[in-house]
Amino acid sequence: MVRLTLAQMRRSIGRLTAAGIAIVLGTAFVTATLLVGNIISTTTTDSIAAQFARSDLVVSADESFTVDDVEAARSVPGVDAADATSLSSFELSAGSRRTYQIVVPTPTDDRFQPQEVVAGAMPADSGEIALPEALAERFDVTPGDTVRLARFVWEPGPAGQEDALAEWTDVTEDLTLVGTLRDPFGAYAKMGGAAVVSASDLQAWAEQSDPESPGPTYGAIMVAVDTSAGLEQTRAELEAALPGAQALTADEYAVQQAASLTGDEDVFTKVILGFAGIALLVAALVIANTFQVLVAQRTRMLALLRCVGANRAQLARSVLFEATVLGVLSSIGGIVLGAGLTQIALVVLGGMDLGIPLPSTVQITAGIVLVPLLVGTAVTVLASLAPARAATRVAPLAALRPGDAPTLSSGAGRVRLVLASLLVVSGALLLTGGIVLGGNGNAEVGILVGVLGGALSFVGVLLGAIFWLPKVVSLVGRLVAGSGSTARLATANTLRNPRRTAATSTALLIGVTLVAMMSTGAASARTSLDSELDDRYPVDVSVTTDQYDEYGNGVSDEIPAAMLAGMRSAAGVRDVTELTATRTTVPATDGDYEVLVRGVDPQSATGLVRSPDLLAGLDDGTVVIPRTESEWLGIADGDTLTIDGPTGSVERTVSVTDMPGQAFIVSTSTMAELDDAAVVTRVWLGLEDVTDAASIVPGLQDTLSESTVPVEVVGAAVERAMFQQVVDTVLAVIVGLLGVAVVIALIGVANTLSLSVIERRRESATLRAIGLSRGQLRSMLAIEGMLIAGVGALLGVALGLLYGWAGSATALSAMGDVSLAVPWRDIAIVLVVALVAGLLASIVPGRAAARTSPVAALAVD
Amino acid sequence: MDTTVYQPLDNQGTGAAPAVRARALTKTYGTGEAAVHALESVDVDFEQGHFTAIMGPSGSGKSTLMHLLAGLDSATSGQAFIGGTEVTRLSDNDLTRLRRDRVGFVFQSFNLLPMFSAAQNITLPVELAGNKVDDAWFDTLVQTLGLGARLSHRPSELSGGQQQRVAIARALIAKPEVVFADEPTGNLDSRSGAEVLSFLRRSVRELGRTIIMVTHDPAAAAYADRVVLIADGAIAGDILDPTPESVLAGLDALRTIDDVAAVGS
Repeated sequence: MVRLTLAQMRRSIGRLTAAGIAIVLGTAFVTATLLVGNIISTTTTDSIAAQFARSDLVVSADESFTVDDVEAARSVPGVDAADATSLSSFELSAGSRRTYQIVVPTPTDDRFQPQEVVAGAMPADSGEIALPEALAERFDVTPGDTVRLARFVWEPGPAGQEDALAEWTDVTEDLTLVGTLRDPFGAYAKMGGAAVVSASDLQAWAEQSDPESPGPTYGAIMVAVDTSAGLEQTRAELEAALPGAQALTADEYAVQQAASLTGDEDVFTKVILGFAGIALLVAALVIANTFQVLVAQRTRMLALLRCVGANRAQLARSVLFEATVLGVLSSIGGIVLGAGLTQIALVVLGGMDLGIPLPSTVQITAGIVLVPLLVGTAVTVLASLAPARAATRVAPLAALRPGDAPTLSSGAGRVRLVLASLLVVSGALLLTGGIVLGGNGNAEVGILVGVLGGALSFVGVLLGAIFWLPKVVSLVGRLVAGSGSTARLATANTLRNPRRTAATSTALLIGVTLVAMMSTGAASARTSLDSELDDRYPVDVSVTTDQYDEYGNGVSDEIPAAMLAGMRSAAGVRDVTELTATRTTVPATDGDYEVLVRGVDPQSATGLVRSPDLLAGLDDGTVVIPRTESEWLGIADGDTLTIDGPTGSVERTVSVTDMPGQAFIVSTSTMAELDDAAVVTRVWLGLEDVTDAASIVPGLQDTLSESTVPVEVVGAAVERAMFQQVVDTVLAVIVGLLGVAVVIALIGVANTLSLSVIERRRESATLRAIGLSRGQLRSMLAIEGMLIAGVGALLGVALGLLYGWAGSATALSAMGDVSLAVPWRDIAIVLVVALVAGLLASIVPGRAAARTSPVAALAVD
Repeated sequence: MDTTVYQPLDNQGTGAAPAVRARALTKTYGTGEAAVHALESVDVDFEQGHFTAIMGPSGSGKSTLMHLLAGLDSATSGQAFIGGTEVTRLSDNDLTRLRRDRVGFVFQSFNLLPMFSAAQNITLPVELAGNKVDDAWFDTLVQTLGLGARLSHRPSELSGGQQQRVAIARALIAKPEVVFADEPTGNLDSRSGAEVLSFLRRSVRELGRTIIMVTHDPAAAAYADRVVLIADGAIAGDILDPTPESVLAGLDALRTIDDVAAVGS
């Protein structure tokens, strides 16, 4: 039987190869995902290990270590050097450029230093700093220049009121840059490198930050062991000296740390594996289809075997054996392909210098080979179970019948219809329930219910495809059939085997539905969040010198007139409004309160903000107060408020709105009364097209950074651009991943057409004999392919829109009004791709069919 | 009886103008030592308005002759004509047009399209050519072949004889100059077979068509106006107004020659 099966496989090699490609792609996907997951966790572990440089042991405990603990470690026999690990973050600035940066101390021993000096030296004394090369370049500083570091200090109040008036104060340190650094092992790659200062400075700052606390604490201590002392012995002595502590080698510690850190990456791997699962599901449909046809074609052969004594079980086993061989071979192909592609990606990325040291070759482990192999083979065998059962149903008598073309297959059972309908109905109810829950503010529960409903109804739709999909094909077919007899033939052909057409279309439907759902969801999210952003960030771009002063500190610089002119003439800027500012006091429930007041021309400002109702109440007789502030100060809408400014006092009617920020807003004439010397510290810019922010804002930032006064450019436009970019990137990645499923489905279309061509050899010959030209035969198959693919894509798009809208309505209603968007461009692309692919899928089968000689029609089997 | 389409032909019964001709028609499979001569320099004429049967034992070359005459297969050498057209020189597209407009086929296994009704199957050749169906002619065919009650049925709902009658109507719908029938009764029981053969004969007598039928059944051949006997790739005999007995006698003669040849070799 084995010999016979193999011989049969050789005869059907072409068809099996086409089906095998589906499995190859699916398993390649799984393999690549597993490899990438491993690479991510390896690089994470490596970069953690790199932080400990060449330390021999890392001591850690459940509780943090104190300075004394570090001293204790240093005095343990066999310990050559010991340093605490310390990562702090400070704001660094040079000129108008600032950034938050990880700062580490210069170690007492070179073995604890993962970074290398490029120019200059490591900081040895107080007041020195070394920066990562890239940051020094950005700050435009070289050794000898000054870098400013800002930190907070807990300052007690004056005598007698130490606690009551204690507050956080901003303290700046001017440090001298002594060196620039490189991070060859990627120890701090994920944090953008680390600046280095002297250990004494860092310890002093840590102690000042909170005088009450007993001193800085550390998570781990790095230890260098004396070469004469044994590692194991030192390890034991360290653990004895520091009760409750654990001494591990740097690598062991990194693996332990990475395990707790890589939670995110594991989720990432699981999500991608989900997409691989979808690809495999589609592959399973393609395989099931192929085997169904193989069995149908071999009906006579199988019947003959039954006649000569093969029993049912043997026939079933033969089919399953064939599937196993196909599954194993295809999976091996997939593993090789997946590993190859990952390796190519590593080589390409390695040449791009991402700052993260990547392994140069993929690491093939037993799991990476076994998991795709088992999954791929299991999927193939499972998919062939139904065809195997069909093989057992072949009656021995079939061998004696004249060789008719495989008969039209009957419809599916009633059980299936009932089950499919139940699933669709209950799924739809759950989806609706999810939308209602989402609308009531229970977005998280709503999403769970909605996802469940979506999954149930989609399974129902797929199960029921056999009942309704052929009807849709016939409907669409009837529309195109008007175009001639060739189209009519094609339509009739797609309907002669509804089960196969349904399965082929369904395979495509799965991928297209998910792609359409994702892009609809993304489009809806974008539209909905746009209106949400209008409220939250009413101003497109805000250029300001007093970003931090709104919280009550310092004096702001005036924005120079030249800069204002520059903004007015900048490309893409529609409108500009200037805001002056001054500090005032207002009476609140518990005494006077200091607030920042901004003055603006009401007409100009109302025309500029995206949500005009935020400033609708602003005129010479009113003051607009943000809702949060009004609640804080106990002021209500319509109250009369007295505001004391530097040069005058005014009484104004309060208008409370949802204006973001803390500052009160008054008209320019009110401002003139409050402070006749108030200067422009902020400018609001309205862009002509907010979606162009991504190109306009950086240009604006470049222009403004050259000025003498440091300004900050912030606003919704930037946020919006960033948000859109994130959504677009995520969408592109997801669509790319789902694309694999679509490609597999299209292979299925080609496969189905090839099988049809083989099955209908005599019929094609008859058509040729009664006057069908080669071109007509080819176009008949082309229309057939486009019908199957086009209908699958069309239905997928329709379903995707529904699911996308349901998802958006559930998830986004918590954030405000949901607008349902239709991603027309994406939909058009999906449909065109499907039709072109259907056309392409028909080329090879079409050629084979056209080659059929009309003589074949005369042949008796 | 409907006689509107019946066109009396010249020289009826005495040798009409040939509808199909073969001149030195040769088909060889393989080359050199392995060469097999399926057909060796055959000259034969088939008259218009006649029902001719080509008869011979299996492997005699009768099917090959038909394939070459109908332009379904290419000849190694020699010529085949349908009317004034030399079939052996046509391109694939010209052959397609020839089959569409001037030649009809009836197959042993009917070869109806399972997804179309009987009526749709009949009109298919005209539609493929992009022409309009001649309704009067369609009605005549349906009536002559007795298919009136079966037009909306699918092939799977028809008996073998009915299916073959639909196939005959399909072959005649475009009013071809000649219809080639390849063992049209091969898949039928004798009663249905006889029915189909009478219909073929009626098509010739009443509708004025030309039919060339390949068969190995003497009883079937007896329905024809003339039987061309073929053996070992060459014409071996010609029987006018055959009866089953005369055809059998002719075949016996062939067999005797074979036997003599066999003894002689």
